Amino acid sequence: MSVSLATLLLGFVIGYLGQRSRLCFISGYRDILLTGDRSSLMGPVGCFVGAIVGFAAVSLLGGNVPGYPMIRHMNIPMMISDAALPFLCAVGIGVLGYMVGGCPFRMHVLAAEGRRTYWYYLAGFYIGLLFFNVVTTRIVEWLTS
Amino acid sequence: MPFDRDSGRGTLLQRWQVSPFFAGCVLGIGAAVIQGYFKVIPPVAYGVCMVCHPKDLLNWIAAHTIGVDWEYSIASIQAPLLTVPGVLAGSWFAASRNGELRIRPAHQPVLYFACGFFTINLGLVLGSCPIRLVLLAAYGNPKGIAEWLLVVIGVVGGALVARLLARWRAKEML
Repeated sequence: MSVSLATLLLGFVIGYLGQRSRLCFISGYRDILLTGDRSSLMGPVGCFVGAIVGFAAVSLLGGNVPGYPMIRHMNIPMMISDAALPFLCAVGIGVLGYMVGGCPFRMHVLAAEGRRTYWYYLAGFYIGLLFFNVVTTRIVEWLTS
Repeated sequence: MPFDRDSGRGTLLQRWQVSPFFAGCVLGIGAAVIQGYFKVIPPVAYGVCMVCHPKDLLNWIAAHTIGVDWEYSIASIQAPLLTVPGVLAGSWFAASRNGELRIRPAHQPVLYFACGFFTINLGLVLGSCPIRLVLLAAYGNPKGIAEWLLVVIGVVGGALVARLLARWRAKEML
């Protein structure tokens, strides 16, 4: 139960801060290209810095961070060779994120503000989730077998 | 107390200007703490993910109500991950406290619906959302770093294509 409470609390905090700061993990890359504005880019940078500090601190304090830092324990050429499909998906997420102007986190925040455009996004998102469970998993299994 | 935007009057919480860097830092540290001390693991760097946590929650509920065998992560075997309800509640609370909560009309609903549909499918095949890719990169996962760069390439590529299309359309109109 502590997992549920912890994730609910962290979700509430980042939802609050995300709404106040317009935190987004897509729009920063777009803004710096189109307008030269670097403020949105500071969100992913802050997350990266915070996560490095957080994982290092948790590791030093004896928390559960197995294999950290991962780069020391992984077979990089083998891992990259299996990654064609995920790599294509990563590019696709970038393109789709550009088209709607934000990452899934930002879409949830905007929907909670009452913007109906993003309610349609979330409708597609959760219907897509059901589709993934029923259809996409089988297609991926077939492609990777 | 309602927030007065013009005069800037309101409670300390309402007047607090949050920078994206600070919000990102809190997210990153929170994700590390939640993995390290609240067992949101495996997989690693799973503290926040806006495609996998919705899947885990929905599939957990489906498994415990209608008994379907849809996959969810080991992190959510004991109890569901409630990140998404938390994000929705937190952003709704922030918007309502600061006078930004109001129903606004929809634009291009079909485009947004389709983008949401394909985003979650691509995200679940990838196994990450843009937030988790940053967390994986911070965890030292080379694949996470490569995929983060590819998301950036996708955004930049999309922007360049859109710019080219706009120029082409402008030329056609002339």
